[in-house]
Amino acid sequence: MPTVTIDPTGERVHLDPGETILAGLYKAGYAFTVGCRRGGCAICKVDAVAGTFTYNRPVADNVITDEERADHTCLTCRAVPEGDVTIRLRGETLRLVNPFLAQLNARARQRAEAYAASRAAASPDATPPPAADTTPAERTTKE
Amino acid sequence: MAVMRMGYAHVRVTDMAEAKSHYANTLGLYETLTQDGKVYYKGWDEWDHHSVVLEEGGVGLVKFGWKVEKSEDIDDIERNAQAAGATVQRMSKGENPEIGDGIRFETPSGHLFEVYHEATLIGTEVGTHNPEAFPRHLVGVGVPALDHALILAEDVRGMERFLTQVFDFYPTERVQTDLDDNDAHFIATWMTANNQIHQLAVLEGPPGDSQGKLHHFAFKLGDWTEVGRAGDLFAMDDVPIDIGPTRHGITRGQTIYFFDPSGNRNEVYAGGYPAYRDRPLVKWTPDQIAKGIFYHARELNERFTTVYT
Repeated sequence: MPTVTIDPTGERVHLDPGETILAGLYKAGYAFTVGCRRGGCAICKVDAVAGTFTYNRPVADNVITDEERADHTCLTCRAVPEGDVTIRLRGETLRLVNPFLAQLNARARQRAEAYAASRAAASPDATPPPAADTTPAERTTKE
Repeated sequence: MAVMRMGYAHVRVTDMAEAKSHYANTLGLYETLTQDGKVYYKGWDEWDHHSVVLEEGGVGLVKFGWKVEKSEDIDDIERNAQAAGATVQRMSKGENPEIGDGIRFETPSGHLFEVYHEATLIGTEVGTHNPEAFPRHLVGVGVPALDHALILAEDVRGMERFLTQVFDFYPTERVQTDLDDNDAHFIATWMTANNQIHQLAVLEGPPGDSQGKLHHFAFKLGDWTEVGRAGDLFAMDDVPIDIGPTRHGITRGQTIYFFDPSGNRNEVYAGGYPAYRDRPLVKWTPDQIAKGIFYHARELNERFTTVYT
């Protein structure tokens, strides 16, 4: 379960597996300048300063150029983190528009972190749990 | 000279499977042809072969087709476009499937226009002999027809002049900085050749990033109830809504702006009062532009002027 951290303000948002950065931030009660939410308008670009991600759909070359595929540019509406990522917004700060949703997200993140910690404690030699192990997120979804 | 209507909008989509689901299952267009990586659609109340063309690869506008009343109209428009400084190419029947001979030129705003007179007649889905009011088994929103589009241009006044000179369009409404046209800077204009309140609107875009840009293309609906029902269907199909249902102060139309799965903005649009060449032009001043565009909220969202493909 990836965590998105906002640089430099430090907000942390828990994403469900497969969720885009944009969808996760909005679901957690945060807002920033976005447009079509479908990869076409290029407004929701940020810089991914740490961590890696993949695009869950083809992205047009006039939306993300070859140079932007090689630098830290991240089209948040299509970007699905491969692990924890840190992003920096371009020319604006993240707005908390719904504290209630942010609280729900923080609790989900704490549960996921506690679960991961308990797994690590149970088998100290084991590598971190594989991405396919999605039990806490499934439970969250069903709630 | 008579442009009858925007005959087709041809756009790029990044993922054809998702685009087909949107245009066929959510909007309810009828697929009429798949050929060379392009898919062709018509609405149920349209009779020509197609009004929407999807092409896989990228996002944004490829071109618009404009259908004229008589074949001689093509020659008139060719002369007008050349006089207006455009480079005009002849296009042959079949270059666009099921579309006849015509011309092609680029506008000063960088949009590709095709003008034609003949298209293969398929017929509406209710026919012409004692027709029913609508097809019984419409899919999704069941849009009857393509309606209009809004494009960006750096020079709105210049585009209004071009469309007047080439297509004999006239403006029905405008956003301008001064009520005196001579002193005004034109921010946006709504234009038509007939009684439809707008066939093409032009909005000022940012210098250097407006050429050939599409703000939206719109489908016709009957009334508020149909617009509301479309919104319900967009919720069911997870279509991102830009704004609405709301009303435009400009044209008085009822609307939802939404995005297709590639990020092209679409609209469903109902109402709009009848336009006449002798009806006094409606002018909006910049301080009221938000009410002009979104009549109920009276605030422009951050996307209206910054998000386009």
